[in-house]
Amino acid sequence: MKPSPRIARRLSVVLAAGLTVGLAACSAPAAGDDQQYDSWEEVVAAAQGQTVKLWMYGGDEQGNAYVNDVLVPAAAELGVTLEQVPIADTPDALNRILSEVQAGETSGEVDLVWVNGNNFGTGKEAGAWECGWTDLLPNMALTDPADPLLENDFGTPVDGCEAPWHKAQFTLVYNSDTVTDVPTSYDELLAWAEANPGRFTYPAPPDFTGSVFVREMLYAVNGGPDVVPLGYSEDAFAEFTPALFDELQRIEPFLWREGSTYPQNSNELNELYANGEVDFTMTYGPATLTQLVADGTYPAGTKVLTLEDGTVGNASFLGLASTSGNKAGAMVVANLALSPEQQAAKAEPDVWGQFTVLDVDLLDADQRALFDALPESPVVPSYDVLSENANPELSSAWVTPIDEAWRELVLTP
Amino acid sequence: MLETPGPGGALPTRPRASASGRLRALLFVAPAVLIAGFVVIGGIGVALVQSVGLMPLVGEAEFSLDAYTANADDLLTGLGLSLAIATASTVLSCVIGLTAAVIITQGRISGRVVAALSALTIPVPHLIGAAAIGLLVADSGLIPRALGLTPAQWPDLVGGPWWVAVVLEYTWKESAFVALVVAGVLATRVAQYDETAALLGASRARRLRHVVIPLARPAVIVSAVIIFVYTFGSYEVAWLLGRPYPEPLPVLAFRLFTSISLTSRPEAAAVAVVTTAVALIVVAIGMAALKRTPLWR
Repeated sequence: MKPSPRIARRLSVVLAAGLTVGLAACSAPAAGDDQQYDSWEEVVAAAQGQTVKLWMYGGDEQGNAYVNDVLVPAAAELGVTLEQVPIADTPDALNRILSEVQAGETSGEVDLVWVNGNNFGTGKEAGAWECGWTDLLPNMALTDPADPLLENDFGTPVDGCEAPWHKAQFTLVYNSDTVTDVPTSYDELLAWAEANPGRFTYPAPPDFTGSVFVREMLYAVNGGPDVVPLGYSEDAFAEFTPALFDELQRIEPFLWREGSTYPQNSNELNELYANGEVDFTMTYGPATLTQLVADGTYPAGTKVLTLEDGTVGNASFLGLASTSGNKAGAMVVANLALSPEQQAAKAEPDVWGQFTVLDVDLLDADQRALFDALPESPVVPSYDVLSENANPELSSAWVTPIDEAWRELVLTP
Repeated sequence: MLETPGPGGALPTRPRASASGRLRALLFVAPAVLIAGFVVIGGIGVALVQSVGLMPLVGEAEFSLDAYTANADDLLTGLGLSLAIATASTVLSCVIGLTAAVIITQGRISGRVVAALSALTIPVPHLIGAAAIGLLVADSGLIPRALGLTPAQWPDLVGGPWWVAVVLEYTWKESAFVALVVAGVLATRVAQYDETAALLGASRARRLRHVVIPLARPAVIVSAVIIFVYTFGSYEVAWLLGRPYPEPLPVLAFRLFTSISLTSRPEAAAVAVVTTAVALIVVAIGMAALKRTPLWR
């Protein structure tokens, strides 16, 4: 299928027009129910007794456990009932909000969504998110206002439409027992794959992790993120992607199962790695590695690969649905999730192991002690080391065209 | 004069009773018809309209077959793959299921064991079955481990080029289905005919060929149609145990439907329409075959 940004642009215009009409039509009855707050005190007062539904990817057991065992009780102490709605995929939540927006719903099923990237960008264009509310959150003061990861989400300005929650760093992982000549750049990684046929592969895009790996390779074959423009254009696509797909086709015969097929998702790749069928895996959540090595799922020699080229980092957020009827409660939860106590608890490797979005330098001594007390991992270096040379994410408009071209040029024989 | 409501008096009321009876029957059946109609006509209708460009998310409605030609290659390979998977699963299920049914109707201990195994298989959801098959026969699964084989020595059953694990899962579940349906049909009739034929001196092989199989044929045909249509349109097993390329039609349709670009929805609808059309053709062939069986008349 050929990507058609023209149609996408037209779509967004029509959607926006439709939404404006829809919103205008329903603004009259909704006037009495305005949830505009001028101060944090008003928010806290209005939040009492509200029930907030947090829609989030439910396939991560540690994430579910953190939300239900740590965040929910803490929210209850603040007078807000928090309920997790586990979903298979974040677009489910976005589609729900978009339908509610079209129906003029003001007390929808979705309050908060764990979101970033494409889903945030598409939703923002279509008016799915409440904007400009994060300045009210007292704990936003503990984040670095100039942090590029928190200013833009895959190229879309955040504009206070979502409150930061975690940071993630794309990480390659290898088994140091079997990989003796450790690659230090993507070029060396591919050379290693060529020299060790069948021991390397990556998940097939549109899997999230596989898709990031392909975008990393786009940087690598073109000389880095300074060369490839972050904003998408058809010209840039035509200029920079042929080298990428040539390279991926060239190494294909040296991959797992001679490249005749690929793991369908990152779980399958992780399984291959855990079973010793390949020597590398890759993840967006390196903090979970410590636990996986400790419980014997991954080989004891598991190490994080540090590459001179750096890897892509991003942040994920809590989006507040524009159709929510519990906006005050949702803001209280978002603020709570940003608190040093919650951020430190969540960073604990055996809780969830998600990196904090707070700027530790802005914390007072007691708060900083919470982060200093986090155990050092024998497998995973600290976030500072991991995020060294961190590459910015390409804008989300790049993602679908690259994934589709990969299917056409690399996957299809 | 003694006037009693006799048969004569009751007669005129009979047509009225049957009219209201018919009405009542219609009322009883209406919810089912409405729901089926809503799903069949509504669902397929919307898919059809969407697939020919008459219900676009953007732009003007205009008849076009672009959605069918946009992924023509994928659509054709997917069609071939889906047909192959469904055919293999159906044939294997019918052969194994019929054999099992014959064993069940013989009423020995072995028959009871087979019947119990089949009955146990039926309530297991396909998704669970697929996960179990995956755990057993993947190249790092339980079976190769028990045999002490490395992944390189074990064939690529899961995610391999021949879709073996997918067909295996369907065959395991559906042969149990055939076994129970056919055994149910045979149990009511086969004993008498079989004994008669035996008394007349027919050998076991001839009884099987001339008595059991003809009696079982209508049930087998109906089961085969159900299995074929089911496996042709089923998503989760093929997705879980398959590979990313080529994709069977339902997997292709779902990927297009959930693709981030909303413009791929008509293409997903086109794949769904092709899947439905093939399924309807298979049902028609099955019904024609059923009408030609001697027992049907």
